[in-house]
Amino acid sequence: MSPHTDDVALSTTAERAAVVQAAGAQPDKDWVIVTRGLKREYDMGGEIVRALRGVDLAIRRNEYVAIMGPSGSGKSTFMNLIGCLDTPNAGEYWLSGELVSQKNDDELARVRNKEIGFVFQTFNLLPRASALHNVELPLVYAGIGSAERKERAMEALTKVQLDNRATHRPNELSGGQRQRVAIARALVNRPSILLADEPTGNLDSTTSEEIMKVFENLAETGQTVIMVTHEPDIAAHARRVVVLRDGLIASDERKENFTSKLGL
Amino acid sequence: MRGISLDQLRENIDIAFDALRVSKLRSGLTILGVVIGVATVMTMATIVQGVRDQILNTISVAGPSTFYVMRVFNTTPVNPDDLPKWIRIRPALIAEEADRISQIPQIEYAGIWAQIQLRLDYQGARTQSIAGFGADDRYQEIQGGELIEGRWFTKAELRSGAPVIVIQEAQARRIFGRIDPIGKTIVAGGRPVQVVGLYQPPANIFSPPGQEIGAVFPFEFVTHNFHIDKTNALFICVKPRPSVSVADAMDAVTIEMRSMRKLRPADHNNFDLMSQSQILDTFTSITDIFFLVMLVLASVALMVGGIGVMAIMMVSVTARTREIGVRKALGATRRDILLQFLIEAATLTGIGGVLGILVGLTAGRGVTSLMNIEANTPVGLTLVAVAVSVAIGLIFGVIPARRAARMNPVEALRYE
Repeated sequence: MSPHTDDVALSTTAERAAVVQAAGAQPDKDWVIVTRGLKREYDMGGEIVRALRGVDLAIRRNEYVAIMGPSGSGKSTFMNLIGCLDTPNAGEYWLSGELVSQKNDDELARVRNKEIGFVFQTFNLLPRASALHNVELPLVYAGIGSAERKERAMEALTKVQLDNRATHRPNELSGGQRQRVAIARALVNRPSILLADEPTGNLDSTTSEEIMKVFENLAETGQTVIMVTHEPDIAAHARRVVVLRDGLIASDERKENFTSKLGL
Repeated sequence: MRGISLDQLRENIDIAFDALRVSKLRSGLTILGVVIGVATVMTMATIVQGVRDQILNTISVAGPSTFYVMRVFNTTPVNPDDLPKWIRIRPALIAEEADRISQIPQIEYAGIWAQIQLRLDYQGARTQSIAGFGADDRYQEIQGGELIEGRWFTKAELRSGAPVIVIQEAQARRIFGRIDPIGKTIVAGGRPVQVVGLYQPPANIFSPPGQEIGAVFPFEFVTHNFHIDKTNALFICVKPRPSVSVADAMDAVTIEMRSMRKLRPADHNNFDLMSQSQILDTFTSITDIFFLVMLVLASVALMVGGIGVMAIMMVSVTARTREIGVRKALGATRRDILLQFLIEAATLTGIGGVLGILVGLTAGRGVTSLMNIEANTPVGLTLVAVAVSVAIGLIFGVIPARRAARMNPVEALRYE
C-alpha cells in the first residue's frame, strides 16, 4: 500500500478538528474513537496527579495508529481509558458512535468484550489453558456456545498460523507464538479496535518484526489498530503517530512527516 | 439476576478443577474440615439406620403385639436400691396373675417367665455367661425363631419341672462341636439337665452377643433349682389375640392387674407394661439425642472447614489477581468473576462432601458389620450431605469471590 492511499484512509486535520470540537454531539460511526477534553486525575495520598489534562483525539475506522510518549506522559492512562478499563474524571469518550465515558463497570466489561481486542506486553495468557482455550475466552464471556466457540477460536488461530499449536499450553510455545495466540484472542470477537500495549516489549528484534508483520497484515485487511509504544522503530510501522507529553497531545502526525522527522 | 447456563457452569467447574489440580495438598488440607464433618454424620447415620432397621425387623419377626408385664421397667439401667420407695414396695409378680390375664377374652397367651444367667458345660467345654429363660412349651410361638432339631417340653415335663433344656444352636455348637447334642446330659448353672431340642432364635438386636437367650428351661425347673430374684427376674409375657390391638390388650391387662391387686382409682399402677413399640420409642429418643449431638459436632467441623475454604480462597484470589485482570479485560463482568470463584469454592467443598460421604459410609459399614447387622445406605442423608457441603462453599466463598469481582482491572493487570 502506497503512502498516497494511506493519506486517503487517514482523516484530514480539519475534519478531525470538527469532530473533536462538536462537544456532546454523537460522531459518525466511522469515527471509531473520539475523545473530547479527556481528563484523568489520581489521588496519590493527598497529592493530585493529573495524568491526562484534556485530550482531544479522533481516530477513523481502519486507521493504524501508534501512541507514543515518555514514561509519565499519560500514555498508559490514555490506553486504559481507550480500552474501557478505566473511566475519565472529565470529558467524553465515544467508541464506535457510543458514549462510553459514563458507563458503569459491567457495561464497560461488555463494551470491552465486544469492541476491544487487547494485546499485552507480557501476553497475559492463562498458563494452564491450551492456546485454543485461551483464544476462546472472550467468546465465553460473550455467552457463545461451546461448538461455535471452538470453531471461531480455531479460525482465529489459523489467521496467525498457529492452528497446529491449538492444544499447546503457553509454556510450550515461544514468545512470538505466545504473542500470536494473544493476537488471535484479541481478534476472535471481531472487535472494532485492536489495542496493543508495548506488544513487542518482551520479544527479541527478529520476533518483534514477525509480530509487527502480523499487525501490518491486519491493518491492511481493514482492522483498526492502536498501538502504545515508546520505541520509535516499532511506532514507525504505524501510519499515524500520536505523541503524548505531560498529559496532553504534543503531536499527531501522518506517516511521511513522522518518518522524515525520525530520520528513517 | 440472570440465570446461569449449563455451559457457564461447566466452564467454571473446569476452571475450579484446574485450580485444584495445581494446589492438591493445599486444597486437600482445606477441605479436611468438611470431610471430617460429613464423614462423622454419615458414619453415625449408617450405624443408627442399620440398628433401627434391625429393630424394626426384629419386632416384625417376634410379633409386634407381644408385650410384657414387669415389676419395674426402666429405659436406662439403674441401681434397684436407688429406686423411689413407692416403686421398691411393689409386689412381685406371681403365676396366678399370669393365669388370670390369660383368661381375659382379648388375650391369646399369658405366662410367667423367669430370666437367669448361667453357663453351659459339657465335658469341660463351657460357654460364656448366657441368659436363660424359664418358660413353657409355647416359647417359640411367642418369641419367634424355629426348632432345628429335637422337641420342645411336654406338658408333663412343664408341670413337674423336669431337668430338660432346649439350647440355642450356636451355643450347642460351641460345647458339642460335631457331636449330636440331643439326649446328652450337660451341666447348666451347676445342675445336670438333658438336652431335648436345638433352637434358632430370630435375629434380635435387643440381645447383644453373649446376652442372647442361650437356653430355655421349663419354668418350674428354674424356680425350683435356681436362686431367683423374684422382684426383677420374673415377668409375664402377654400376646393378644390377632384381632385385638396392642393398646386395647394393654388396657385390658392393666384393668385386670389393678383389680387383682385391689388398687383404688387414685392409686398408681404398682407394675409396668413394656411393649415392643415402647422399646423402639426409647431407642428412637436415644438415637435422636445422639444425632443432635453429632449434628452439633459436625456443624462445628463444617464451620471450621468453611472458614478454611474462605482463607484459602482469599489466598487464591490474591495469587490470581493477574488472571482476574485478564479475564476482566476480555469482557468478564463482576458477576462472571463472582460466579467463577463461588463455583470454585463450592466445587472444593463439594469434593470434600463426597469424600466425607465415602469415608463415612465405609466406616459405618465397618462398624455395622462388626455389630453383625446389615447397613443400608441412608440415601436421603447422602443427598443432604452433598447439598450442605456445596452450600458451605457458596456461603464461605462469598467474601473472597466478591473481593475478586470488585477488583479494578487496571490495577489487577498491573499486579506482579
